[in-house]
Amino acid sequence: MKLVGALRAVVTGLFRRARFEQEMDGEIRAHIRERAEDLRRAGVVGAEADRRARIEFGGVEQCKEKCREALMVSWLDHLWRDLRFGLRMSMKSPGFTAAAVIALALGIGADTAMYSIVNGALTWDLGLDNRDRIVIVSSTNKQHDQDWTVSYPDFRDFRGQVKSLAGLAAYRFVPVNLSDQSALPERYYCVEMSANGFSVVQHKPLLGRDFIAADEQPGAVPVLMLSYHVWRDRYAEDPGIIGKTLRVDEVPRAVIGVMPPGRRFPEETDLWVPLVPDAAREKRNNRELMLFGRLGDGVNLATARSEVEGLAAGLAAQYPDTNKDETANVRPIMEITGVYYMKPLFLALFVAVGFVLLIACADVANMLLGRAAERAREISIRVAIGAGRIPILRQVLIESVVLSVAGGFFGLLVAVGGLRWFDRGMGTQVKPIWLHLTLDRNALFYLGAISIATGILFGLAPALRLLKTDVSAALKDGGSGVTGSKFGLRASNALVGFQMALCVVLLAGAGLMIRSAVNLYGTPIGVKTANVLTMRVNLPEAKYRNSESWIGFHENLAKRLKGLPGVETAGAASQLPLGNWIPFAAQFEDKNNDAARRPEVGGLVVSNNYFEIMQVQARRGRLFLEPDGQAGPPVAVVNETFAEKFWPGEEALGKRLRLVEEGAPPGPWLLVVGVVPDILQNFREHLKHDPLVYLPFAEEPERQMFLVARTTVPPATLADAFRREVQRMDSNLAVYEVRTLEDRIAESRLTVSLFGTMCTVFAAVATVLAAIGLYAVILQAVSQRTQEIGLRIALGATRGDIVGLVFRQGIRPLAPGLAMGVLLALGATRVLRSLLTGVSPNDPAVFAGTVAVLVTAAVIGCAVPTRRAMRVDPIVALRYE
Amino acid sequence: MREQAQLLPGTLDLLILKAVSLGPLHGYGVLLRIEQISRGALLIEQGALYPALFRLVRQGFLKASWGTSENNRRAKFYELTTAGRKRLQTETDGWKRLVEAIGSVLGAEAGEV
Repeated sequence: MKLVGALRAVVTGLFRRARFEQEMDGEIRAHIRERAEDLRRAGVVGAEADRRARIEFGGVEQCKEKCREALMVSWLDHLWRDLRFGLRMSMKSPGFTAAAVIALALGIGADTAMYSIVNGALTWDLGLDNRDRIVIVSSTNKQHDQDWTVSYPDFRDFRGQVKSLAGLAAYRFVPVNLSDQSALPERYYCVEMSANGFSVVQHKPLLGRDFIAADEQPGAVPVLMLSYHVWRDRYAEDPGIIGKTLRVDEVPRAVIGVMPPGRRFPEETDLWVPLVPDAAREKRNNRELMLFGRLGDGVNLATARSEVEGLAAGLAAQYPDTNKDETANVRPIMEITGVYYMKPLFLALFVAVGFVLLIACADVANMLLGRAAERAREISIRVAIGAGRIPILRQVLIESVVLSVAGGFFGLLVAVGGLRWFDRGMGTQVKPIWLHLTLDRNALFYLGAISIATGILFGLAPALRLLKTDVSAALKDGGSGVTGSKFGLRASNALVGFQMALCVVLLAGAGLMIRSAVNLYGTPIGVKTANVLTMRVNLPEAKYRNSESWIGFHENLAKRLKGLPGVETAGAASQLPLGNWIPFAAQFEDKNNDAARRPEVGGLVVSNNYFEIMQVQARRGRLFLEPDGQAGPPVAVVNETFAEKFWPGEEALGKRLRLVEEGAPPGPWLLVVGVVPDILQNFREHLKHDPLVYLPFAEEPERQMFLVARTTVPPATLADAFRREVQRMDSNLAVYEVRTLEDRIAESRLTVSLFGTMCTVFAAVATVLAAIGLYAVILQAVSQRTQEIGLRIALGATRGDIVGLVFRQGIRPLAPGLAMGVLLALGATRVLRSLLTGVSPNDPAVFAGTVAVLVTAAVIGCAVPTRRAMRVDPIVALRYE
Repeated sequence: MREQAQLLPGTLDLLILKAVSLGPLHGYGVLLRIEQISRGALLIEQGALYPALFRLVRQGFLKASWGTSENNRRAKFYELTTAGRKRLQTETDGWKRLVEAIGSVLGAEAGEV
């Protein structure tokens, strides 16, 4: 087998070299000896026979060399020799080497860092070993065509009937307070899960036992499973935790087990409790559960989907009141994670950084082309005396790989440094779970791979040029080595054009992101965001059953907080700015309320001093006063968008409206007593104002509220004091998500700022690299045309003519590159659509700006060569042979 | 002594395969056998022999193993592998076809054209 033979040869070359040499030597010696003996038998005298045998054989060393070639064992020697030569050449021109290595380090480092981030985000596996087999089952409402959650009775039916899934479980996320004697109560993400949940994803507990079917029966003893990090951080890995009773939202539960580290299914779960059906849950149209299952052996997604759809159809027929419009859908689990939808953006960023690397490679390729022109003579001599083209090619490639590996080595430093700088730049903001800012083993392999690959890639440029060298022409040429190989010049121009095209795409992307960010950050939220501290408190149902208790709690807390030094006022709100709203349908007293076309509006429940805390003045009428919500008619305050939309040109004050929540009786008629300026609440479309109705807390109390307080001192310093006050009121309550309003708003813009920053950095680096590339090429072209320039000057060309000549030289690669780049960018920027606010992906201003930036960079790049061209002394130039 | 024939390039491999097919040989033995069978018409350039042998081993047509020669010395013997046997067959057929074709061209009389 040819391959086996080749492999064996490689192995021999590496490990059994000495023995091979010995054997070969022995064989040849034996041959010569036998020949000598034959000659002696034929009558030739002793020593003469030896001599003749040796002469007949011919050159032993040459034969050995041919044998080595035939068996390919000498490849290692050649490699080593080429490597040493490559290193020597690099040392000879340190400036050149340094420039190339720096450019490569930037490109390779950035690429590796980005790869690490993208790889981490896209392969985040939720801690599952069998991620591809786990699926999400959801209800789909045929009318709204939206995937929805499932009710408990439907879940029970699915679980009992489904065959294509090896198990089906249900869960829902519920943030809870965990309290016990050991430490302050804390807020955790708890998952209520059916007892078979862990067996579906095949996770086994580290300690204790899994849930069993008995745990999910009504009336069962309440139990609890801890995640590893809670056990480690809160209970110091106490092995006696099993059986201990902890209070979860006031319900005492016994700990039955601890999960191993890294197992936090479904997402960032801290605790698991069994999902027990109660009266509310048994209602078939109470859909609050998410379902997940594992595909059976050999079953594919499509099969499972059609089976589940069939089951749903069965339920629709059986229970028309509740399930008439419901069908079901089965999807892979990774689709529910937020990162999944950002996949195109990540890939776009990865491509962008790939562009930077390609631009750096093009730069180095151009540099090497320039050097190849100088070495054309040396190469031609080697070819003329019999060196094959292949060894020369190999040597050029090895030189390039030496450069790129050096670049890769420094690139490692760039990557590590870049990620660390990024980490620090994010500061105290909450990092998304998928954002890994360290280099792991995968990233290191990647670094090694692209180091070598880029070397081969840009090594092709000088290699091809050398192959196309006209040997005789190069040897004839006196000494300047200016072979003017057409290939070399055309290749250089093509490379520069290519660089420019890529730069256009990067700059366009960055420009769009910058404009978008300006829009985003420039749009006023509508409130004074500085010095506001926010946090969340959830009042567990077991202890705070009715709305009076919630009102009482928040009133009390606001009073206490206000008493703290450094606090101006404190209050509460159901949602914060940029935090969306509660959806309602609205009915108006003075309009015809067609039930089918009730307009959708947003509602927010706020404490009466909310606007004061946010420092918002009423545009018309008044803000909430003390008694609102508890005494007097029910009132509401609307924002300007609301007033404009429903009472355009009329007076909004005095009008009455009421809010209708889905599936509930309509609320009381509300009197509009004030109109406030718009506050941005829309989380998704950051620039849009929606019609909003504000209600006093006492009128429409909510269990889950945000606490808001305006402070006179930096708000972060009061976080602990706030926590303590809540503790004093109720030692089992946990305070969570304590952040300043400014931090919160920054978080909501995190994706845009993350992507935008990276885009801009890449574009900047790319432009600098491309400008350097253009500079180098123009410089080379000018020095090649020195004679011509000297001649022109001697014949009377003005400075203007020379400048024009240089610039025309520069235009040649630039113009087509820009044109291609613009075309490419027009298509490519579409991928950023989801990140852009207020800017279209083909915004003409940005594109014009991009072209302007590149032309400027090109002009700067041409500056030095122009000066040099103008300084050409015609006498010297013409004399120069 | 017959006229020495020029060895066409590429035929050395074929000759080696044939020589070895008649029985395992060491390097010198291959040389002798070819000279012997061709009755002295083919003299192999000794320096080209071993590279060709090594190449045929790498390509998997020959197998090399150490043994003892006629004069009780340690020597490396080469023998045909199955692939080598197949290769010998195909190359021989190809050679015969070539010889026929050239022969018919060279034997053409004026009237046949």
